[in-house]
Amino acid sequence: MFTIRMAGWTCRFLLQRGVGLLSPRAASERPYQLVGCIRTIKSTTWFEENLTEDNQEYMRKAIGEDYRNMTAEKLNPLKDEPWPRHEWTEGSRRVGLIAVKLGMVPIWTKTGERHVATMLQVQDCHVVKYLSKEEHDGYTAALLVGGKNVSPFHRSESQIEMFRNAGVPPKQKVSTFKVSDNAIIKPGTPLYAAHFRPGQYVDITGTTIGKGFQGVMKRWGFKGQPASHGQTKTHRRPGASGPGGDPAKVWKGKKMPGQMGNVTKTALGLKIWRVNTKCNVLYVHGSVPGHRNCLVKIRDTVLPTRQSSVLSPPFPTYFTEEEEELSEDLYDESLFVHTEPSLTLS
Amino acid sequence: MAACARSLDKCVSSIRLLRIHLLQNQRLLSTSACRLAPSSDGDKPGKFIPPSKPVIIDKMSAVTSLRKHLSPEFIPPRQRTNPQKFSMERKDMIRRRKVLDIPEFYAGSILAVTMADPNASGKVNRFVGICIQRGGKGLGATFILRNIIDGQGVEICYELYSPRIQQIQVLKLEKRPDENLLYLRDALPEYSTVDFDMKPVPFPPIGDIPVNKMKVKMRPKPWSKRWERPKYDVQGIAFEQILSPEKLEHAQKWAQPWLQYDMMKEYDTSQIQEDVYKEVEREMSK
Repeated sequence: MFTIRMAGWTCRFLLQRGVGLLSPRAASERPYQLVGCIRTIKSTTWFEENLTEDNQEYMRKAIGEDYRNMTAEKLNPLKDEPWPRHEWTEGSRRVGLIAVKLGMVPIWTKTGERHVATMLQVQDCHVVKYLSKEEHDGYTAALLVGGKNVSPFHRSESQIEMFRNAGVPPKQKVSTFKVSDNAIIKPGTPLYAAHFRPGQYVDITGTTIGKGFQGVMKRWGFKGQPASHGQTKTHRRPGASGPGGDPAKVWKGKKMPGQMGNVTKTALGLKIWRVNTKCNVLYVHGSVPGHRNCLVKIRDTVLPTRQSSVLSPPFPTYFTEEEEELSEDLYDESLFVHTEPSLTLS
Repeated sequence: MAACARSLDKCVSSIRLLRIHLLQNQRLLSTSACRLAPSSDGDKPGKFIPPSKPVIIDKMSAVTSLRKHLSPEFIPPRQRTNPQKFSMERKDMIRRRKVLDIPEFYAGSILAVTMADPNASGKVNRFVGICIQRGGKGLGATFILRNIIDGQGVEICYELYSPRIQQIQVLKLEKRPDENLLYLRDALPEYSTVDFDMKPVPFPPIGDIPVNKMKVKMRPKPWSKRWERPKYDVQGIAFEQILSPEKLEHAQKWAQPWLQYDMMKEYDTSQIQEDVYKEVEREMSK
């Protein structure tokens, strides 16, 4: 997640302000107080801070149209030349995508087994920034990829600057993908669901649904105590907390009540059953962390037993014009498609 | 047929007489052999028209229902889900419906389902039962069929869009005043027994579906659920035969009459139903 850089604790003097020291503060407009030499906390501003109402409305409409045009052009990458494309080699890593979780759907295999799949829609996914090996961490290059389009208002100037440099509307979620040097893509390139192919395995990272402060039975699955037979005020409590006199302490990491959910978790090794190239939807096996309409990060599996070099997914990514026309739906071999006649098991 | 023979005899003598005779006896001759065309005016003899083919009305063939019916699993639930998800699911459901004919049925109808089963002899498994519940939305829609076989009550939950289902046949189409008939589990076994070799009962393609207002007799209490309580709102049980009026009044203590006025629980599906119905009709006719 792209973090807002804090302005830090700086000193400001009376003179800089311009408004009188004794004027009453309007809490909504000035996020920081200023009486004498005071430390400021943040310096983020937003678009419409100094505009009149009419101008604000006009800006909203104009920018909305602008961004719609930006994403409607599916050209890649728009005016300048694209970066050179390299071939896949052993050990190269390619980018991932950011998608919206739509919901869950049952699917059937050709042998009649029923599984559940999650539908993930890739909405307006663009590469936003390229960080070379030195800039990122000294080991691997990184690409920042952004998800769903969102309004530029109520965002900081530095964030908007980054999106403006890429020529892309501001995104709701921006995440980093570590990428090998032969898979770098020019910022501004749109990414589509056809980047992944059916039969591939992916890892999906998302923020789990928050359940708040939960007790030990729900959080860790403890059995609790019986409901009756003389139990005094003890039905859902953890019970004993450790061995006893020998350590004479409670080990670190002891399972206890606390915050459950609203954390980032990764589901590994999920198979892709179906790719819809028209609506940009991936059907992914099983469940995915997060609530409906949340943004998740998808990347190729890290698991060694699920790496497939048989399938050749597009490297570095799927470009609309350069590749041949794909059919509207791509299915995995063992998936039952509803246009086929009913199964006759033998 | 006798009239036909007679008319053929008279044919030689006078054609006009024959024509008048034929016109009078048209009803008798409609399904049988020859008929000469009555010429409108003039003296030319009528042309020979080949006999009209007998119209066989097969009441059990798939007469496309002229009722305006939308299966309940097409209506999306009230959720904060992207409507694109529902439209994609609907496309899959329509694709499946083009391959397998899923007829219109309700809770209380009697169905026969043939399913592919690897463990059955002949690999195919046929079950006949009364539908007691239709649940689920979208591709995961299910229905439960209940029957009593050798004194043992059996309920099977089928998924409407499962590829293992090879045929769904409605043997008797009727409705009950309740939406689910789970109380048949506590009723006398005669109400859940359906003959496996039952012949399909013909039903008309137009008009309303008959509502069977029968009151079912129950086994003595305890039941699996307290069906007399107003939250289940069961119309099809004969309570007077097993519960005294005091008990029925006592059950009304759990009534929540304010629920019908709760505006937050309102979910008006009329507009959604119309739109979805039009979309489904359009896609099915393609």
